[in-house]
Amino acid sequence: MESASVPLPHGAGGHAAEHEHHGPPEANQSSRIDRQTLGILLFIISEVMLFGSFFASYFFLRVVVNPAAWPPHPFELPVGVAGMNTAILVSSSFTIHYALEGIRKGNKQAMKLGLALTWLLGLTFLFVQINEYVHLGFSIRTESFGTIFYSLTGLHGAHVFIGLTLLTAATIRAFRGHFDKEPEKHLGVEVPGIYWHFVDIMWIIVFATVYIL
Amino acid sequence: MVATFTRPGWYRAALCTVLAAAFGVGLVVLLRSISGLPAFQSEQTGYPQVVVPLILAPLGFLLGIGCFDYWLRWGVGARTIPEDHSSHGAYSWKDYFKVNTDHKVIGVQYVVTSFVFFLIGGLIAMLIRAELAQPGTQIVGAGTFNGLFSTHAVLMIFVFIIPMFAGMANYVLPLMIGAPDMAFPRLNALSYWMLPLAGIMFLASFLAPGGAFDAGWTGYAPLSTGAPLGQSFFNIGVQFAGFSSIFTALNFLVTIITMRAPGMTFWRMPLLVWANLSTSLLVVAATPFISGAQFMVLLDRVLHTNFFQFGAGGDVISYQHIFWFYSHPAVYIMILPGFGIISEVISVHARKPIFGYRLMALALIGIVVLSYSVWAHHMFVAGMFSWLRVPMMLTTLLIAVPTGIKIFSWLGTLYFGKIHTKSTAMLFALAMIVTFTIGGISGVMLGMVPFDIHVSDTYFIVAHIHFVLFGGSVFTIFAGLYHWFPKMTGRMYDERLGRIHFWGTLIGTWGTFIPMHWVGMDGMPRRVADYAAQFGNWNLMISCFAFLLGAVQLIFVYNMIVSWRFGPKAPANPWGGKSIEWLVSSPPPVFNFDEIPRVVGGPYEYGIPGARHAIMPGEGAEIPVTRETVVGS
Repeated sequence: MESASVPLPHGAGGHAAEHEHHGPPEANQSSRIDRQTLGILLFIISEVMLFGSFFASYFFLRVVVNPAAWPPHPFELPVGVAGMNTAILVSSSFTIHYALEGIRKGNKQAMKLGLALTWLLGLTFLFVQINEYVHLGFSIRTESFGTIFYSLTGLHGAHVFIGLTLLTAATIRAFRGHFDKEPEKHLGVEVPGIYWHFVDIMWIIVFATVYIL
Repeated sequence: MVATFTRPGWYRAALCTVLAAAFGVGLVVLLRSISGLPAFQSEQTGYPQVVVPLILAPLGFLLGIGCFDYWLRWGVGARTIPEDHSSHGAYSWKDYFKVNTDHKVIGVQYVVTSFVFFLIGGLIAMLIRAELAQPGTQIVGAGTFNGLFSTHAVLMIFVFIIPMFAGMANYVLPLMIGAPDMAFPRLNALSYWMLPLAGIMFLASFLAPGGAFDAGWTGYAPLSTGAPLGQSFFNIGVQFAGFSSIFTALNFLVTIITMRAPGMTFWRMPLLVWANLSTSLLVVAATPFISGAQFMVLLDRVLHTNFFQFGAGGDVISYQHIFWFYSHPAVYIMILPGFGIISEVISVHARKPIFGYRLMALALIGIVVLSYSVWAHHMFVAGMFSWLRVPMMLTTLLIAVPTGIKIFSWLGTLYFGKIHTKSTAMLFALAMIVTFTIGGISGVMLGMVPFDIHVSDTYFIVAHIHFVLFGGSVFTIFAGLYHWFPKMTGRMYDERLGRIHFWGTLIGTWGTFIPMHWVGMDGMPRRVADYAAQFGNWNLMISCFAFLLGAVQLIFVYNMIVSWRFGPKAPANPWGGKSIEWLVSSPPPVFNFDEIPRVVGGPYEYGIPGARHAIMPGEGAEIPVTRETVVGS
């Protein structure tokens, strides 16, 4: 069940003898970083740039066009609610860290607890945000402000959803006992963990830009 | 019967496509009924009942054909089959129509698919030239003409040049660095299967009410936000093409960084590997900007948001900034892998080490860095901030320096080389240096603000872009295809037909695109179906050369197909290359190597006695230690 704990394909030198196929040779590892971690880091660069395009639009609409009121009268952003939501998401970064520290030391209970908590906190964040959307009073068509507000927070919400999907898979496999102490046997938690930290940090930037700045 | 639709494959793909499309329509109807709106909406730009299925149906196809099977099984915690290699390698032609994880199969899939789109895009170009052969209306009206030139550009850029380079590198790059496969073979397969979907979506826009997207490949707002339904096909198709190239780039980067053979330091990598490293850096960091721009246009069109709606606080020019922040780096995405191919071909056929190898690699990195700082030179006449013009002019002129380094290094490599032109690949490489340099110089001219203002939106622009994209990128593609055809297929192509194809292509390219400089300087506007009578003779001549150019491509198609089937068997190393892909059989074994080779020297040490690039498994013992120490480092 060794390969079950690795989310993405890897060299299978060890299996070559067991199969009638002549398998590929084990690739030479020419860097200290493993493929999955490097892959998710590069993907995060892409994601940052996607957010970058929407941030670019944000500053064009707010600074270059420079409308008379931002947000337009009479709307206001619920900074308090969003701030509380920020606290929820930030704390989920600590719980995923707790889970990772747990499995690195071989503590599977800590990993399960951490993953489950992270998952619940992420879900709470999404629910609070949807609730906020319902009560804001303006829509995505309310001038350029409504457009870019819903686009940026919605884009982030979509990323929370992707992160939650990855975490769901990791949690299922954690409860099935598929992860272990060795680094290559818990990549399935490490990689979603890195992505979750990205989602979290990106929210702090979105929150600071949209709600506070 | 049930098994037919549960096994990954074309039946399940068809079923899932239909189900996903139906789900999309249902979702739209449901949400609109809940909101108290009429079930269907068919305003010019809206059509949510078409747009949502357009996004979901391709995902259904990918699910059905089997791109997600492994990940889904992993995600729900089911037992995944440990590496059984059942979907690796092609044992019959049918395997090329399945999800395959072998980088060589995926490489061939990429090359053939993008070549088909090249032929379709070429046919559209023939229609365009037929329309422009005489002033007035010939065969298509003005509206159709707009759709034709837009589709021509989009097909050539997004589903021919970019994926063609990805395909060739997919085949050759893992072999070159001594890797058994790409880092993420399943992701590689997913990247490939998104490509035909994007191409089909671009073509399907001809069937949409209002015709194909007609706002040019740039799709400027507000022209695109108010255009008929076809524009949405473009917006969505670009997302699939974009994801495809981002995932491929990510795969290349991880492969190059973590899977090089022992001894393959960065300074021993062939320049094709360097070229794809730098291209992938561009793709990973720039492509999300075109995704973002097209998402915004799509939102403006379907949800009536206000990104680019001037009356509601939107910023029209911001589209161009965001678009060109991707699309200028994109022109380097379309040429840097070609630079890598030319370096390989020139060095092998001139039998000389690359002149200034390290500077060649550093010039690539220099182009990557600079290319992020030149985007607004496309916008000198757009009404953007006027203070941005001169800085953009300076960075534009600056980026000619690393490009010039590459040109001069090729010339330095040729200088006193033993130049063999027995291969058509070398002919295309030599022609590319000349043709691309002309296109590069007209690019420097366009970088000058006053000159750019004079020729903006004229045929001078068309001439420039075709000199760098046809005379540059497409010539490098042909060079690469001829160079690696024996490796990919295990057969030799017909050199005589290759030569006819080369000379026809060269004369056709120059005859078509050189006169465009002159009619452009005289003020003939591009992207218009009709023109002033004074340009009639020039355009007739251009069209004739264009038809020649189109016709000789058929010779290439014939040569490739017939040689693939009946050509003489190719030796492992027909050109006497030193890099690792020439040290394995043609075509290479299913898993590339029995053991990973050991790299002991640079990749281009032609003419140096006893120099070796790599030692293949099993031959290490035969090499005397003294020779190896001579070679060392």
